[in-house]
Amino acid sequence: MKGPVTAEKEWLPEDWRGEIGELTGKKWRFRMTPARVVLLALGAISVLITVYRLFAGHEAVSNLNDHWPWGLWIGFNVLAGVALAGGGYSTALLANVLHVRKFSVVARSALLVSLLSYLFVMFSLFLDIGKWYNFWRPFVFWGYHSVLFEVFWCISLYLVVQLLEFGEIATERVLTGWHALFKKAMPVLLIAGVMLPTLHQQSLGGLYIIAVGKLYPLWWSMLIPVFFLISSFFVGPAMVTLVSTLAGRAYRWTVPTEVLQKLIRVSGVLMLVYLGLLVYDLSSRGVWGLVFKGNLEGNMFILEVLWMLIIPLVICWTPALFNQRKWLVVFGALVGSGVVLNRMNVVFTGMAGYLGGHYFPSLMEWALTIGFIAITALVYMFVAENFRIHAREEEIAPEVAEVEKGVVA
Amino acid sequence: MAGLANTFGRGVMTNHFIDYKNSDVILMIGSNSAENHPQAMRWILKAKQNKGAKLIVADPRLTKSAAFADIHLRHRPGTDIALLNGMINYILQNNLYFHDYVVNYTNASYLVNPDFGFHDGVFSGAGTKDGKFTYDTKSWQYQTEEDKIKKDPTLQDPYCVFQLLKKHVSRYDSKTVSRITGVPEEIFLKACALYASTGKPDKAGNVIYAMGITQHTYGSQNVRAIAMLQLLLGNIGICGGGVNAQRGESNVQGSTDMAMLSHLIPGYLSVPSAVAHPTLKDYLSKETPESGYWANKPKFLVSMLKAFYGEQATQENDFCYAWLPKHDGKNRTHMGIFDFMAKGAVKGMFAWGQNPAVGGPTAAEERKAMEKLDWLVVVDLFETETAAFWRRPGANPKGIKTEVFFLPAAMSYEKEGTITNSGRWIQYRWKAVDPPGECKSDLWIADRLFKAVKKEYQQNGGKFPAPILQMLWDYDKPGRQEPDLDRVATEINGYNVATREPLASFALLKEDGTTACGNWIYGGYWFEDKEAKVPAAKRRVREDKAGLGLYPRWAFSWPVNRRIVYNRCSCDPAGKPWNPQAVLARWDGAKWITNDVPDFGIKDLKTGDPVPPEKSAAAPFIMLPEGQGRLFAPTVGDGPLPEHYEPVESPVQNILSKQQNNPLAVRFNGSAAKLAETGSAKYPYIATTHRLIEHYQSGAVTRNCPWLAEIAPHMFVSISPKLAQKLNIKTGDEVLVESARGQIICKASVLPVVKPLLIDGKEIEVVAMPWHWGYKALVTGPSANELTPSVGDPLTSIPEYKAFLVNIRKAK
Amino acid sequence: MSKGVLVDVTRCMGCKSCQVACKSWNDLPANVPDVPEFSDGLNSPAETNGYTYTTVAIRTVAREDDYVLRFCKRQCMHCLEPACVSACFARALQRDPQTGAVVYNQNMCVGCRYCMLACPFNIPKFQWDKTFPIIGKCQFCFDPNGKLNRIGQGLAPACVRTCPTSALQFGEREALLKEARERIKKNPAYIKHIYGEKEIGGTAWLYISDTPLEIFGFRQDLGTRPLPEYTASYLKFTPYVAVGWTILLTALYLYTKRREAVEEEKKSAQG
Repeated sequence: MKGPVTAEKEWLPEDWRGEIGELTGKKWRFRMTPARVVLLALGAISVLITVYRLFAGHEAVSNLNDHWPWGLWIGFNVLAGVALAGGGYSTALLANVLHVRKFSVVARSALLVSLLSYLFVMFSLFLDIGKWYNFWRPFVFWGYHSVLFEVFWCISLYLVVQLLEFGEIATERVLTGWHALFKKAMPVLLIAGVMLPTLHQQSLGGLYIIAVGKLYPLWWSMLIPVFFLISSFFVGPAMVTLVSTLAGRAYRWTVPTEVLQKLIRVSGVLMLVYLGLLVYDLSSRGVWGLVFKGNLEGNMFILEVLWMLIIPLVICWTPALFNQRKWLVVFGALVGSGVVLNRMNVVFTGMAGYLGGHYFPSLMEWALTIGFIAITALVYMFVAENFRIHAREEEIAPEVAEVEKGVVA
Repeated sequence: MAGLANTFGRGVMTNHFIDYKNSDVILMIGSNSAENHPQAMRWILKAKQNKGAKLIVADPRLTKSAAFADIHLRHRPGTDIALLNGMINYILQNNLYFHDYVVNYTNASYLVNPDFGFHDGVFSGAGTKDGKFTYDTKSWQYQTEEDKIKKDPTLQDPYCVFQLLKKHVSRYDSKTVSRITGVPEEIFLKACALYASTGKPDKAGNVIYAMGITQHTYGSQNVRAIAMLQLLLGNIGICGGGVNAQRGESNVQGSTDMAMLSHLIPGYLSVPSAVAHPTLKDYLSKETPESGYWANKPKFLVSMLKAFYGEQATQENDFCYAWLPKHDGKNRTHMGIFDFMAKGAVKGMFAWGQNPAVGGPTAAEERKAMEKLDWLVVVDLFETETAAFWRRPGANPKGIKTEVFFLPAAMSYEKEGTITNSGRWIQYRWKAVDPPGECKSDLWIADRLFKAVKKEYQQNGGKFPAPILQMLWDYDKPGRQEPDLDRVATEINGYNVATREPLASFALLKEDGTTACGNWIYGGYWFEDKEAKVPAAKRRVREDKAGLGLYPRWAFSWPVNRRIVYNRCSCDPAGKPWNPQAVLARWDGAKWITNDVPDFGIKDLKTGDPVPPEKSAAAPFIMLPEGQGRLFAPTVGDGPLPEHYEPVESPVQNILSKQQNNPLAVRFNGSAAKLAETGSAKYPYIATTHRLIEHYQSGAVTRNCPWLAEIAPHMFVSISPKLAQKLNIKTGDEVLVESARGQIICKASVLPVVKPLLIDGKEIEVVAMPWHWGYKALVTGPSANELTPSVGDPLTSIPEYKAFLVNIRKAK
Repeated sequence: MSKGVLVDVTRCMGCKSCQVACKSWNDLPANVPDVPEFSDGLNSPAETNGYTYTTVAIRTVAREDDYVLRFCKRQCMHCLEPACVSACFARALQRDPQTGAVVYNQNMCVGCRYCMLACPFNIPKFQWDKTFPIIGKCQFCFDPNGKLNRIGQGLAPACVRTCPTSALQFGEREALLKEARERIKKNPAYIKHIYGEKEIGGTAWLYISDTPLEIFGFRQDLGTRPLPEYTASYLKFTPYVAVGWTILLTALYLYTKRREAVEEEKKSAQG
């Protein structure tokens, strides 16, 4: 990673003038570094795979089969992706709806992460569905009795809302004439932008309600939507902590530790609620025996609870740890990956016993997921470097040396 | 079929499929109806559902039929006679036979030559001729007095058939049967008791058999044992009874009727011998018995000659008998032909709907034998393994000089004609679709072939041209490509030479040349049904007044539309039905009331007066000279009574006698004749072959049908879990199966479908293979017949596909 | 009244003619030459797939002193309240109220495969090898405007029509239930249960057997509650959550904004 810093390259030729006037007339910045070249390459590969997948079919690319209709792309890209994007609405709720102003410093970053995550999710969904030219049908033909219908509509609307929210940021720099209008619409957008994810975050869990008897009882519960909702909310601060740390190192953008602590405390409280609810749920359904059965499902469940809840809670409520920023990062990493583990457990561990057969993602499935993440990171960096994302107070400082450091890591 | 013909007079299934619903107990042995005759299973299940019938399945494998068995006898392949003789012994020892039936309708009371004997596995009259084992059957004949057979109706005379039989089977006690067959004694006895329960007048027992019985070096004797069992229990000629030989193909019955056998001409007349029958007089005098329906044989032969040679055939020239091909006495059966072929004695061959490269025994040797042919014509739907033998895996096409012609044939649904099922129903089938491309019906091909041969003779001459040039061949239909099917069918049916009108029955045939008939047994099948206004074979009337499933106006059942043959036996000698619930015929005191076409005279042909029951009771088996069913058959060349021998390849010694194998089993020299020794350590497992419902015969059609290919795409061998454990084999592993004749590699199926059997205290493993695969078609695989031996039954030359020895090990 | 099929396992002999008739009637391609993997010599393909709507499962079953074979046709059960229909967000799966056929309309389908996840019998399968794959599943030979229609014209489905042993019987579901009860009553060999009578609210296809149906993969833990009810009991809250949450959020927004403004004012007043 320590290659020589390459000369700054413009993303577009300086003298390029298009018809869109203001938009293209801007001088866009995007520094190429070896790390970004790698990301670009990974991204390019995933684009090729996407095209191949769309025209050659599923079997040519993925290892999905009749036993395993949903795999890495739905399990990770969609289910975990949406959960991890939870930082967007949870921060928005705190900062912009409840007007806890100290959180405003991370709100834009969280929004951007969320927006990009949802784009990532939508692209993943699009290439996972079999008849992608039919993707629009549920907009017209309403299968309203399906949980997926709710998920689909909410995610779609939420993406629009987020794009509009982002419009407020974007029009600070381009098409500035529209800025006032966006500003005006913000209250409605903000409220919709919290309400919609609340619905679909729980509905993603709700998808599995119909898998009664199929999904292992440690995960299947009528409360699974609530678990999905709470976890998507408390993973928000964790993601904000992680992103701000990564971005902070890259862009010399320091989110005050105090802000992160406050956020994490919010998480902590919700995690306690989650834990309490989980204890209640397992007890009321009488499945505690399964937890300590020693089988794969039981062990994975224990691991998930320790990873996603217990250890982070210890960090959260142990002052010695809570006061160190690095432990906050550990908290963020644990909760973030813990929620991913939870979603993976629902999609894979919990279903394996019933579905039978065999599934492990193919090389191309992995490459596509990784490539999509790379593209998301690249876009984040591009936007962060060209728009006011990281703070209201200070200007973006893109000329910082060693930009590449930490971004990829 | 030889076993049946020698017991009852006709080599046919006695009853028909629908009649199975009338059975009380069904013994299925050497047959797997669920897999191979699924429509038969329909009626078996109806019997079970509607009248609580019981099913006994005797099969080494856990077959699909066995799934419905009340008792499943897992007997060692090739030990059917031990099992059946054991049952007969049980019945005789416990007096469970149907006494009145046995006394009146079988030859139980007949006295046999006092010289008759049986010693250590060999019957009296054994000798050698040209270094080969022979029997002189003189001592097997009945005692006669003034040309009348001596009888003892008390069945007490030590030389009477009943006593001889009783003595013969007494050695088959349940313990011995169990030691030979591997069937636990208590299960065997349970089966005996159940089946013997049909020896009552109002009970019907039905034995169903198929290739599991016939494909042995004592196949005819297997059939004999079944037939005798049925005679003893009074199960022949009645509803729900019979010996029901289920044929291996949809139209095998039709093909044997038409003489697709080397020793017959149409209608089960024996082929004239060049030595014994140089003239018509020789043939008629030597081949026509004095009593029984075969006394009419001259009418059948003369009418056939009239059908063949038309106007040329006259009284003066013996109806061109001289033109009829004569047999040279050599083995012209399947194995015999290939034996000659391997020796270079056969120039050319037509493989017409047959695929010996997959279906023949020791198939790899048969493929090799075909290399000796100058030319080969294959008539089939697809390029079969036989058609492609010259470019089979491992062959060098450049080194094979055989010129191969392939004539694409139409499938059964692409042409019209009749099919004769196992139950003797001749059913006309209409064409559903046109054949694709240049495919032609077999009739078209035969027609053009004959015309081409005739043209060759006309233009270039040849040896003995008369039979070709003078053959009556008038099947052209103006404006049509296809020959006139109606004319062909009329000729088979028989017609009045003067009027060319189809005859109503073979009873109208004459030996004076005024009638012509291609195949006498089909007489009446093309005679118009007056109501339906179509030839009998074309009618489809669903009418069953008697409620016995006879459906007398559904197509035509030979002979003379009789659905159940020997049906005189369904009544007592006085004409009173044994079972009043299932009446085929009944003497009401003045005349006969019939539900089925009677297999006996009910009216005097001349006077029209009713024939009293006493007359027909004396000869209910009208095709036999003695008129009564043969418990003891002096005419069966390899023994008048069935005796257990081991299969030619066996893991054990025969515990009943020193005679290990059937002394008359057909054997060959040469590379196809390699055999494993008895108790071979190199080939320790018993192998048997079988079929799958998904495939038909050599798979030539079914492996080319995508929907069937996908539901059974892989050749496999069934191995017991115990053997698999010993050999460290799992289901799906590739295994090598090896016999003295070859080896194949296929998938292993480890399931309790087969299991080790306890044979005389020793556990012996059985493995089983389907034989449908070859190197052509959509799905390919090794042929099980590369492993099977080229040995056969003395009477029929049917190869012993069902019991041989192999070794198995994991491949790679 | 809706239609149904009674499957009597005691009458099935595993001839697979239903399996072939289904392909024949529905113009389904065979998996050749890329044939199904070898499973055990009895079953092929081992399970249904995007091109195979029905299979006959064949199992060896241990009895006192030996084994027996048992056979059972499997296909879509055509639930009275189908999980797949409730799961389909594009209305590609519909239950015909007249016949009871649960029918898939490929033109409506997006290809999300949620039906595969939702189905308690693992029936919907996917044509993974196709660029634009469709779900493969038994349609009960119902095709009201198409050429594959049978039960819509009062004919028995192709599989039932071809069954040689009456192991499959087509008719009114209620009549079949009666018939099934009679058979069970008459013959003690049957297990006293009609699978599909009550399971998840009932299915059009009903099974009776002398052998536990678990061996063929029939779930015994389904309960009698229709699966769509589970989802509905959750989804019914959605409007309330949406409206309530929006009102609450708006109120909070306005309240906190007002509080903030007040504070600002205070601050500036103080400053």
